Amino acid sequence: MSIESLQGLENWPFILKVNLVLSLFFLVLTLLFIALIVFLRIRKNRKEAYRANFEIALIDFFNHYLFDEDFQRDYELGDFKFNYLKTSYDYKIAIKQVLIFDENLKGESSDAIKELFYGLGLFNFLLNDLKRNAWYKQARALYAFSKLGIRVPDHLVEPLLRAKKPELRQQAMLYSLNTSKENPLGFLDILDNELSLWQQVFIENSLINFDLEVPDFGRWLNHDKSSVVIFCIKMVVSFNQFQNIPHLIDVLDHPDAAVRAQAINSLKLMDVSDSLQLMTANFPYESPTNKRAILYAIDKIGTAKDLRTLVSHISKEEENLQIDYYKIASKFDNGIPVHRLIKPETIKQDWPEFQSYAQRMLQGA
Amino acid sequence: MKKKIMVIEDNPMVVKSLEFKLKKDGYDVVIAEDGRTAMKFLAETTYDLILTDLMLPFVSGNEIIEFLKNEYPTIPIIVLSTSTQEDIITEAFTMGVDDFITKPFSPNELSLRVKRTLSKTIN
Repeated sequence: MSIESLQGLENWPFILKVNLVLSLFFLVLTLLFIALIVFLRIRKNRKEAYRANFEIALIDFFNHYLFDEDFQRDYELGDFKFNYLKTSYDYKIAIKQVLIFDENLKGESSDAIKELFYGLGLFNFLLNDLKRNAWYKQARALYAFSKLGIRVPDHLVEPLLRAKKPELRQQAMLYSLNTSKENPLGFLDILDNELSLWQQVFIENSLINFDLEVPDFGRWLNHDKSSVVIFCIKMVVSFNQFQNIPHLIDVLDHPDAAVRAQAINSLKLMDVSDSLQLMTANFPYESPTNKRAILYAIDKIGTAKDLRTLVSHISKEEENLQIDYYKIASKFDNGIPVHRLIKPETIKQDWPEFQSYAQRMLQGA
Repeated sequence: MKKKIMVIEDNPMVVKSLEFKLKKDGYDVVIAEDGRTAMKFLAETTYDLILTDLMLPFVSGNEIIEFLKNEYPTIPIIVLSTSTQEDIITEAFTMGVDDFITKPFSPNELSLRVKRTLSKTIN
């Protein structure tokens, strides 16, 4: 483009000038964007190549440390730490490799891996992470400590059991489960957040898979968090803790309907017919869901007499409950006074078997 | 002459550690990262022992064991697996494996079991 033609730009209409400026601006922006993508890609490739090489060096060093009797452990450990562990990225890669080794090896090798963990300064690195405020660093540190079964001072972990981030709370629980031999579920005592369903599943799996001594779950049936009580009720059933049946019956008076529902279902599963007296007494004041649960408890562990006592407490508007009642009553003797409940016009075509049953009972009544 | 062992395993850490440990013990070690490679190596040369995982890409450990028992019935097999389920272990022994080691494993114990399996084969 000649200077004359550039001078001619002055005579261009304003809109064309704006167009030209914007075109140049977006061209430069596009080129910068492409350059940024290329730069990031190159950086990522370099980082991955560095990581791959460092992992090979680590594996090689670990293997010598574990299996080479001629290896001068103390000297080589210091040398490796000085030459290779320089940035926090190096530490993170080294920690990951230690975890992989620990996961696959046991016996003397596992002990030697822990020596490496301390010797390379990885313990101190993670301890510093645990003291920081970044939740993901704290969670990562707890994960590594729990996987390796290494204990850290309690005052560093306890506040994290009450952390706002559920992921961090979960890691703190995992840590407690993995490292506490005497009281693996002791963290429930200081928990002031509800346990999510996912956390409940995760704790149960830990109890089954980690070979932990199962505690007496009756201890937490008075916990102020409903989810903890619900979880403990489930565990009482899972681990057949029949000694807690009286506590479970007491839970039928719990202020939270969800807790009562769990207690009803669990007592049903454990065939505790003694609990039916309280269930039927509470029936008029229960939520529709719990009323249904009580009906099915009677179905499994009760008698026609138990069922009969409930008739006056099922209103004609509670159609679903009536259906359940008919269904259960059909399994007992025909002495159930269902005619007092039946409101034929509300029985829909969707439930023909109950409709016919209701009609039959009406005719017989 | 060094005994030749083929390790069929896809976990790089386990591969490196087994290779290192078994070489230290005086064996000639060949690594196959999957079943297909293992079959290719088997066609090329003979081995004194096969150490294999069960969970492998392309061809499963069970298929390899079946193949080995049909084609090379004299080569002893040791399984190294994360599985602790009784039915899987029983199935492996039913198929004719000589030993079953569960992960996490003790390298020293593995070393002894390899030695024992090889000496049994010689006898």
